[in-house]
Amino acid sequence: MPRTVLSLFPLRDGKRRIMTIHPALALLAKDFRGEWRTRYAVNTLLMFIVVTLSVVVFALAGETLTSGVQAGLLWVVLFFSAMNGMSRSFLSEEERGTTLTLRLLADPSAIYLGKLLFNLVLALLLNVFIVLLFLVFLEGFLIRQPGLFLAVILGGGAGVAAATTVIAAMIARAGSKGPLFPVLSFPVLLPLLMSGISATKIAMEETEWTLALPELGVLASYIAVVVAASFFLFDFVWKD
Amino acid sequence: MWWKTLLFTWIAVFSAMALVVPVAGTFDAVRARGCGGAPYPVRATIPDPRAGVHVGNGIAVPAVDRNGNRAMLVFPAQPDGLADGRTYVVRVWADSASRLFHVASVVSIDPLWTFPYIAGLGERARIIFFHVPTAWLSVIAFLVSLWYGVSYLRRRRGEDDALSAASAGLGLLFCLLATATGSLWAKFNWGSFWNWDPRETSIFVLLLVYGAYFALRSAVEDAGKRAVLSAVYGILAFVSVPFFIFIVPRVLPGLHPGSADDTGSGPILGGGGIDMGMRVVMYALLVGFTGLFSWMLRLADRVHRLEAERGHD
Repeated sequence: MPRTVLSLFPLRDGKRRIMTIHPALALLAKDFRGEWRTRYAVNTLLMFIVVTLSVVVFALAGETLTSGVQAGLLWVVLFFSAMNGMSRSFLSEEERGTTLTLRLLADPSAIYLGKLLFNLVLALLLNVFIVLLFLVFLEGFLIRQPGLFLAVILGGGAGVAAATTVIAAMIARAGSKGPLFPVLSFPVLLPLLMSGISATKIAMEETEWTLALPELGVLASYIAVVVAASFFLFDFVWKD
Repeated sequence: MWWKTLLFTWIAVFSAMALVVPVAGTFDAVRARGCGGAPYPVRATIPDPRAGVHVGNGIAVPAVDRNGNRAMLVFPAQPDGLADGRTYVVRVWADSASRLFHVASVVSIDPLWTFPYIAGLGERARIIFFHVPTAWLSVIAFLVSLWYGVSYLRRRRGEDDALSAASAGLGLLFCLLATATGSLWAKFNWGSFWNWDPRETSIFVLLLVYGAYFALRSAVEDAGKRAVLSAVYGILAFVSVPFFIFIVPRVLPGLHPGSADDTGSGPILGGGGIDMGMRVVMYALLVGFTGLFSWMLRLADRVHRLEAERGHD
């Protein structure tokens, strides 16, 4: 594997510590640093989630909801905030004009892995945050099987990140057509959404967790298939 | 030229059969259904017309249906040419008091072929001849589009991309036709235009995929970039499509034949399988419409080549 030299963090005396790390990790570190400087994605996403959730809460104040409706609402918020967050990974490179540099610096598989890891971290954080807000603000939002619920929410986040990273790259190549992102992602994400919603519903009811085994199986195999497919497809999207 | 003549003759002949061949049931079914409702089509042979007796102002003759059940058919008047052993498709009303079947109308005399009357479907069973081929083609067109997309990524030839897009366009057309025919039919047979049966969900997903594919194509102006991105999207979408088309409708209970809770009642799919006569016409139309699809794809390819010669993209 090609390795890259990266100065991670400047030391106090102004010199930089030189490290060799895998280019995917270098890209991940770069994205985190960029995000840390502006906090643009985090701030926008947090506000987006708060806004969406307040709409839900305003509309449903005082209503008692079945676990099916609650699971559906949770996934609506999960899906649309993921659509907001994931699309930025390659668009930001286009905006800064750094796509060509990246193309020169590392091979496509490393770029894909780095972006996938960043999206993975972002999606997991997003999902955890959304669930916390749901727990606080939505009355009657009870999780009866926390282990299963956590597995589904984290697995769902991983699946969303896996499926949408290559689509984000396609959007960036298509001339930064942001609104196209959810349109392209939704049909690809549907198996994940359907099994995610039904597993979430099971986790919120007092039933056997083994009932959700087929859904967890779909989730796991979906992630494997999507990552494998996009790993090979990314080459075509990335290269000219 | 000869294959085009053959193709269109084939489609015309089998479409005509699909529409014209009468649907006819048996006396058992009429008895099981009881009186009332619309007259019920029955296929019956009259072995001996001279055995007829006058009943009121009609004539009752003994008749035998395809299962060997006997019953008395009451014609309003002596039908013309009641010769020995003639077969009739007649619409009858059951008469509970006299256990006679009153003939409302004669549909066909000595039919070459009849389709079975399926309880709850009747004439509406004919949807299978057109709805199944369109649904089949909407998936086949997707696979063909995928195939040409992959070969574009391998060889980078503009024709492959044009064929991929043309196939997706035809697929969208057939997908819309399958949705429209199925939805109209569902209103009359299942009570509403849309029921979110697993098969309906699958065709909805396919429509979404086609829609997204063309949204992507219209978003990119550069031809090479458009070709690459749409080919990649076709492959990526294929991750989710088989799940909906081939797996979910078979493992979940639903309204369509072949669902998990389909107990094989009636001669459509399942248990005894589809009736032989219907099966022949359905498969013939499946082949015919697939031929039609490949002809339309060839036309699209020729249009692309001619436009390329003239200098358009």
